[in-house]
Amino acid sequence: MTETPNLNTEGYDISPEARANVAITTIDKIFNAGRRYSVWPMMFGLACCAIEMISAAAGRYDLARFGMEVLRPSPRQSDLMIVSGTVTKKMLPQIVRLYNQMPDPKYVMAMGACASGGGPFKEGYNVVSGVDKYIPVDVYVPGCPPTPQALLHGLMKIQEKIDTEKHFTNFRDRTKPIEPIPVPILGPDIIDPRDYETIKDGVKSGPLTTVIPAVE
Amino acid sequence: MNFGFGILRGLMVTMGHFIGTFVEDFKWIGKRYYTPEGVAHRSSKNASGIFTVQYPEEKLPVPEEFRFIPFLLYEEGPDGEQQDRCTSCGICAKVCPPQCIWIVRTEDPDTGRPVPEPVEFYIDIDICMNCGYCAEYCPFDAIKMDHQYELASYDRHSAHIYNKEKLSMSVDYYAQIRPTNYRREEDIRIAKEEEKAAKAAARAAAKE
Repeated sequence: MTETPNLNTEGYDISPEARANVAITTIDKIFNAGRRYSVWPMMFGLACCAIEMISAAAGRYDLARFGMEVLRPSPRQSDLMIVSGTVTKKMLPQIVRLYNQMPDPKYVMAMGACASGGGPFKEGYNVVSGVDKYIPVDVYVPGCPPTPQALLHGLMKIQEKIDTEKHFTNFRDRTKPIEPIPVPILGPDIIDPRDYETIKDGVKSGPLTTVIPAVE
Repeated sequence: MNFGFGILRGLMVTMGHFIGTFVEDFKWIGKRYYTPEGVAHRSSKNASGIFTVQYPEEKLPVPEEFRFIPFLLYEEGPDGEQQDRCTSCGICAKVCPPQCIWIVRTEDPDTGRPVPEPVEFYIDIDICMNCGYCAEYCPFDAIKMDHQYELASYDRHSAHIYNKEKLSMSVDYYAQIRPTNYRREEDIRIAKEEEKAAKAAARAAAKE
């Protein structure tokens, strides 16, 4: 069991007998304490790291001790996406789509070498070298694969990150929709096939010296 | 008319585990959790009841050959300064399958000869696949695999590209985490030195 965060704000004089019953605190702390113990990961795995993730979720390491036992099969009910394994070019559009479907306070964990930086496949023809090039990643867990305990350490880092968040002082303008991340389409050499014409024109007009802008 | 008995029998297994947990807790009063014996018992084949490792407070002991990110060894000189075992030969960088090691060599500005010590040594731990080839191939026993696995952090480029300073560990640390390996390597080294000394002595004797 992780340590319960001290809800009482420092600097208030509370008598010792009342300490268990009274909490003088900010609403952020209560809110965050609720959120840190109910991080629901999305139930999807990509490669061998997923085996370690399953192991961490099972009885021996037991994610339930962190309030994370509810592995949701739907992105709309999950808070945390554990990108557990090699992100191939074929899988990436699906991952970005799933990320876009998750509701707002959402976290992404890049688990293992492949998801963080490409790992042994970093120059592979069919593998994206790091999922952080396409979606924002909160915590990187190194290892190939990380042991279940290393994964739990990463999850505790996510909890620590949640503890520091301020919901009532840093407002997001909720009248505006969240801009979804455009789903990438990756052809050979991670070139967007929609850019082919531009690239062809560029090649015709001379040697490639300038960066060709992507077509919107 | 045996309908439903299978389900009951199945539930009895669950019930047995549930009761077993309390029986075990009672047998071990206060010693089952957060003690090395408790962890060892719950990891053994005799374990019954709950066997979860209460991770942040207690950790599973890692076997000696467990390998995670590599680290560099240095020996403490007579006045406490670090003497790197690494000679910047670059074999580890060559054999590394995911190519995550980056070494910068240097030359002595006066003589123009290479200095047997890396100026900079980087390992991208987010690329490293923990294969241990670097440790296997290093002819100077200068790079070894660590046991530390709690390395998660919020930023990849500032925290997960380890430089020489972050990678360097003393030989004592290595002897502590891998005692048998350390002993074996030390024995080989001592035997070689003795052989060398014996040869030198023999040569000196032949000269006379």
